[in-house]
Amino acid sequence: METIILLLQQLCVYVVITYLLSKTPVFIPLTFISGRSSHRIAFYLLFSSFCILGTYFSLSIENALANTRAIGAVMGGLLGGPLVGFAVGLTGGMHRYSMGGFTDVACAISTTAEGLIGGLLHIYYVRKGKVDNIFKPMGAFYITLVAEIVQMVIILLVAKPFDQALMLVEAIALPMIIANSIGAALFMSIIQDKKTIFERNYTAFSNKALRIAQSTVGFFNQGFNQESCHSMASVIYNETGVGAVSITDRDKILAFIGIGASHHLPGTAISSGYTMRAIEHGEIIYADGYETGYQCSIDSACKLGSVLVIPLLEADGRVLGTIKLYEPKKKLFSKLNRNLGVGLAKLISNQILTGRYIQQQTLLSQSEIRLLHAQVNPHFLFNTLNTISAVTRKDPQKARQLIQHLSQFFRSNLKQDIEQVTIKEELTHVHSYLEIELARFAERLTLSEHIDQTLLSIKIPTFTLQPLIENAIKHGTSTLLGQGELKINVYLTEQHNTNVVVLEVIDNAGCYKKPVDSSGLGTQIVDKRIKNQYGEQYGLTLSCVPNKFTKATITVPILSN
Amino acid sequence: MLKAIIIDDELYAREELNELLVENKNVEVIAECSNAIEGLKAINSLKPDVVFLDIQMPQVTGLELLSMLDPETMPIVVFVTAYDQYAVKAFEDNALDYLLKPVDTARLNKTIKRVQLSLEKEAALPDYTPVATQQLELIPCTGFQRVLLLEPSEIEIATSEQTGVHLLTSEDKLTASLSLKVLEEKTVLIRCHRQYLINPSCIREIKFLDNGSAEIITKSNHSAPVSRRYLKLIKDRFGLA
Repeated sequence: METIILLLQQLCVYVVITYLLSKTPVFIPLTFISGRSSHRIAFYLLFSSFCILGTYFSLSIENALANTRAIGAVMGGLLGGPLVGFAVGLTGGMHRYSMGGFTDVACAISTTAEGLIGGLLHIYYVRKGKVDNIFKPMGAFYITLVAEIVQMVIILLVAKPFDQALMLVEAIALPMIIANSIGAALFMSIIQDKKTIFERNYTAFSNKALRIAQSTVGFFNQGFNQESCHSMASVIYNETGVGAVSITDRDKILAFIGIGASHHLPGTAISSGYTMRAIEHGEIIYADGYETGYQCSIDSACKLGSVLVIPLLEADGRVLGTIKLYEPKKKLFSKLNRNLGVGLAKLISNQILTGRYIQQQTLLSQSEIRLLHAQVNPHFLFNTLNTISAVTRKDPQKARQLIQHLSQFFRSNLKQDIEQVTIKEELTHVHSYLEIELARFAERLTLSEHIDQTLLSIKIPTFTLQPLIENAIKHGTSTLLGQGELKINVYLTEQHNTNVVVLEVIDNAGCYKKPVDSSGLGTQIVDKRIKNQYGEQYGLTLSCVPNKFTKATITVPILSN
Repeated sequence: MLKAIIIDDELYAREELNELLVENKNVEVIAECSNAIEGLKAINSLKPDVVFLDIQMPQVTGLELLSMLDPETMPIVVFVTAYDQYAVKAFEDNALDYLLKPVDTARLNKTIKRVQLSLEKEAALPDYTPVATQQLELIPCTGFQRVLLLEPSEIEIATSEQTGVHLLTSEDKLTASLSLKVLEEKTVLIRCHRQYLINPSCIREIKFLDNGSAEIITKSNHSAPVSRRYLKLIKDRFGLA
């Protein structure tokens, strides 16, 4: 009984050391299982030391040592696998052997065996796909129990003389079995706790970061301004729970939310020296209010006590502005939020850049549309005026109609600064153009349309059909000596198992030639805008059989709403 | 009365100009043509004093038509266009008369007056060559009950006969409304005889005859005589000393 208590006392010292070690980074690899060799070497070194430590903390009984060496060997095998277990056991065993005594050989053999036993359980769990079970303290308890019984048997079998061995085993078997099993269980329990804390922090961190990233996608598509920054700052404020969040550009505060919002006003110039320094040098500045002093530069009564200033960087390293996280004087800055802040700055920088890119793209396509509008061909205008002039003489009523169509055409041309219209609206626009052309070419041009009326509400980019019809007339039917025929079809079809809307403009001239440099052409812009909006599988294709027909085919998806 | 032909592919444009010319009372519109091919035929057969010529027309433009006209029977040409910056600039640079659509009556009357004056004085025609197309891409021809446009490279031999200028291709014999002189100047065809043009890329054989002349056989077995006068030029061209 006395031996048990003594051994348990030794165990306590051992466990305390383990606990202290668990506070160091040395312990982090123990919290997960991997087959990497660097990992295995670390396991081997660590558990061999525990093994040797166990031998040193032993009690001398009957010319032999009651010890907690088994914990290191079994745990080494259990966490590191049979190879590590064997190596740890062998190392611990050789060390024990070097200390002599009549059980030296028996102890060396049994410690190696114990490492292997731990390793066998490791393999069993891995094979069963239950790696998490390795971290169960009860598992460690039972396997050490078994390992210690095996050790006693080995001592009885190997140590000579047998009588002395038997006496020894009688004296130390119970204390050692109990102490080692409990010790192993405690050891595992410490690892398990460490693992839980580590994972919880990790999960909390990644969850927070992911939530922020997810809910702020596209915030800066309208630009990096007070409005978008306010939305961004409030998401960060709510998710991180810091005292206050601020976003600045290079000169002024764009958003401020949280404690002190009454005097940190968006739109006002930056006054904090830290912020200016962060902007100038592009460095992260952390003022904890103790080591590095912090005092609000606006109001001396401000409750904020510490600040983290992180520059927002452009791809080339130029500073766009800063994001600032604050904590009030009565609260400490958590390490978690400090790390998160750095990640957030990256996220925001990227979002600003993406936003800017998207904005530029939209601007580009808008300016291209304007260009198309401006390209109302002077030929068309003057020929139309000439037609009207001629028609006025013979048929004033018809002349009035033509003037109506012409004004309608110009009006909708000027109005179309919107991105999308329904097919119906686009057809109306096209019709005012066509009415004029039909009058102008009189007997030389006919139009036939097949339009699925159920598709009229489908949206397409503005100015999609117009350039195609203009081309079909200008470069198509108008070059024919004979009758020009223009067809417009709108119908639904299936493509790769999805429904797509097809709009066709067909002329009977067949003059289309693939242009050498097609960038900037009307048709090219039509195609680009559809692809931008709906994806690469949609767009415009042109086909032509010379002297027979040219067909322009547009495909767009059916989108709900 | 001035005899005028209107050539414009748009019905209303023709009607409008016709009305305006009728109002002028000094002009008689003897034909209205809806394309350059009809126009060419009408000019050659009706011999108008003045032609009102639209520029943008299908297949053969007004400026191409201009270059198809034989200088000897050339009428005064008044260009009519809705909008064509480059052409208008060229007309101004060369002091050629043009009208902008919709046509202004005052300007039209002034133009007519000028045409009348130059006819009365029998003044030389303005030089249209700077604005006329230099090389013809399509040659309008009439076959049996049809009009077609030949690329000059398709022509093997062009010959002028009593009945007009005939073009021989590998398969066809067609009648062109162009003079040999125009074809010689504005296409790849070269002269080999007073009444014959030959496409040099279609020659298969040149037979030299005893009297110092020769005969050309084309790839499709058409033959054309080579007069002594042109034989030397042809020999030079092909490096035959």
